[in-house]
Amino acid sequence: MGAIIYQFKKMSWSEIVLLISLMLMAAFLFLPILFIFNHAFKPFSELFNYPPTFIVRQPTFQNFNDLIMKTSAGAVPFTRYVFNSLIVVVCTVFAVIFTSLLAAYVLSKHKFYFKSLVMGVIMLSLMYAPETVGIPRYLIISWLDINNTYFGHILPFVASPVAVFLMKQFIDQIPNDLIEAAKIDGATELRIFVKLVLPLAFPAVATIAIITIQAVWGDTQASTLFMQDETMKTLPYYISTLASAGTGGNTIAGQGIAAAAGLLMFLPNLIIFLLFQKRMMETMVHSGVK
Amino acid sequence: MASVSFRNVYKYYKSEKEPSVKDFQLEIADGEFLVLVGPSGCGKTTTLRMLSGLEEVSKGDIYIGSRFINYVSPKDRDIAMVFQNYALYPNLSVYENMALGLKLRKVAKHEIELRVKRAARILEITNHLEKKPSQLSGGQKQRVALGRAIVREPAVFLMDEPLSNLDAKLRAQTRAELIKMHGTLKTTTVYVTHDQTEALTMGTRIVVMKDGLIQQVDKPAVVYSNPNNMFVAGFIGSPAMNFIKGAITESSDEFFFENKRMRMRIPESYYPYIRKLNPNNLRSIVLGLRPEHVISERAEVNNFSEWKVNALIEIKELMGADTFLYLKLGEEQVISRIVEASEEYMPEEKLEVALQMDKAHFFDETTGNSICR
Ligand SMILES: Nc1ncnc2c1ncn2[C@@H]1O[C@H](COP(=O)(O)OP(=O)(O)OP(=O)(O)O)[C@@H](O)[C@H]1O
Ligand SMILES: [Mg+2]
Repeated sequence: MGAIIYQFKKMSWSEIVLLISLMLMAAFLFLPILFIFNHAFKPFSELFNYPPTFIVRQPTFQNFNDLIMKTSAGAVPFTRYVFNSLIVVVCTVFAVIFTSLLAAYVLSKHKFYFKSLVMGVIMLSLMYAPETVGIPRYLIISWLDINNTYFGHILPFVASPVAVFLMKQFIDQIPNDLIEAAKIDGATELRIFVKLVLPLAFPAVATIAIITIQAVWGDTQASTLFMQDETMKTLPYYISTLASAGTGGNTIAGQGIAAAAGLLMFLPNLIIFLLFQKRMMETMVHSGVK
Repeated sequence: MASVSFRNVYKYYKSEKEPSVKDFQLEIADGEFLVLVGPSGCGKTTTLRMLSGLEEVSKGDIYIGSRFINYVSPKDRDIAMVFQNYALYPNLSVYENMALGLKLRKVAKHEIELRVKRAARILEITNHLEKKPSQLSGGQKQRVALGRAIVREPAVFLMDEPLSNLDAKLRAQTRAELIKMHGTLKTTTVYVTHDQTEALTMGTRIVVMKDGLIQQVDKPAVVYSNPNNMFVAGFIGSPAMNFIKGAITESSDEFFFENKRMRMRIPESYYPYIRKLNPNNLRSIVLGLRPEHVISERAEVNNFSEWKVNALIEIKELMGADTFLYLKLGEEQVISRIVEASEEYMPEEKLEVALQMDKAHFFDETTGNSICR
């Protein structure tokens, strides 16, 4: 306690005001997270309280029970959706990192014909929202005949201009001298890429991993448009059907299940963020990139 | 160890109209410390990069020893390079940084350790071998970069302004160390700098470049005392050589340098050169005189009584032992260097100075070339 007071004493007034306002802001931003956690454990009676409450009074696992029970009665078990989601996320993240790293390295550090054209196309594709390319994507996927396969989930995400662009910006900052020094030292292209560029680009890799995981984990487009087979659909799609009447869910009874599922959807995001954030800071500090 | 030979080498960059290096012709002997010097953008780095293999040669041939290396990849040229901003691998320790080149060449482990330790001892970085580059000071980083080159024991060292990121004191110190190092290792070195002090102190020979063209190749003392043209004369030496415009005139078998302000007899040793010239060219001549040859100490001025001229002191600059006087000779500004000034000089004061014509250089004003060749 004494140490904290000492810290405060060292600060100027403006710093204290800044600190307090930042703390208030953080507390405010924490509210939704608090709500998600509490909501999932609320018994049915509490879910519809008016005015709504943040803190659960009588926590129960009933919602999670319902979630698992309801779907086991249905055609496809809940775990199948979870499994699908995990497969798709893991494969997509690796594929995106692999392709964007290779593309960005070549675009940043190598000379070749049509480089500016390629870069221009990538910049152009940055401007399209996923919704606008839904139909072309559908056409391509059915033309490739990969409806109802995991590949159909993954492919639309692999072509990620955002990832390539971010990665290129990052690799641009790696000094050319460093790569040239390695060349003179006798390193092969592969070695330069794996031992030099990859570790230096790690913060960008982490950032792209976070962005991709969040996008893919929450995506319903592929399940809605490209997957007709119920066994190939993913968790977010399933959850979106729970609480909406139109797709055979139950608007009232589904609320508890939706709350539990909401928490399940949110947890990976939280865990990954906490994990990578720390790693990212570390690599930033130790990379010593000039 | 090896000699290096450039034969009519050109470099054309796609984005540039003019070649960045033109007809570069140079023989570097084994064990030489050759300094490439010139103003920014004159093509020093480009030349070095062509030798290292990081940049393609557009035209001409480069040899290391007797081997034609235009199409040899950098790693097979038996060279080591030191970069301006060190280019140390940030994710490797100092030891690994120095060892990598040997490891990739499949040198035995104990041999690597031996060479790294020895280089570290020479460069006094033994205590830092386990550190990461980000934990080192600028001077230490530069020594690691040097160490990385030394352990390779290459045929040629290439260095591109390796000292320019260091502060003045450290630069002087590292400069001395480099000279010492070259004294023991005797490895052929090509050293790029835009700093004429480094060029004069370090090089066994200097190559002065401008706009991609070699202006002069010679020993430092010769470049200083006998520059080829006005560019070299003005670039090498600090403060720069004084230039005074005028003409050479002849009367009763004697030659004089003459302008509105002065008429100075030219010593006989110059006559053969002057007689060789077309008399028309004698009408526009530039006299070049180093600051130490503009004598301002009253006691000494009288030793050169026939070359006296009146001047006005504009600024006085004290630089430790040396004092620089910025003088006005009519239109022209002239700098005079006084070693250990024993008298007082005040700005705005009138002064009689002597121009030491026996040390003068004469240049053709239109071509800029020295006529004393
Ligand atoms: N990669 C490149 N593409 C196009 N032009 C280049 C390239 N590198 C250098 N040049 C041009 O070549 C000329 C010589 O450049 P260089 O880098 O060799 O100069 P330098 O003598 O090393 O100068 P400095 O002292 O500033 O380092 C310059 O006019 C520059 O604009
Ligand atoms: Mg340069």
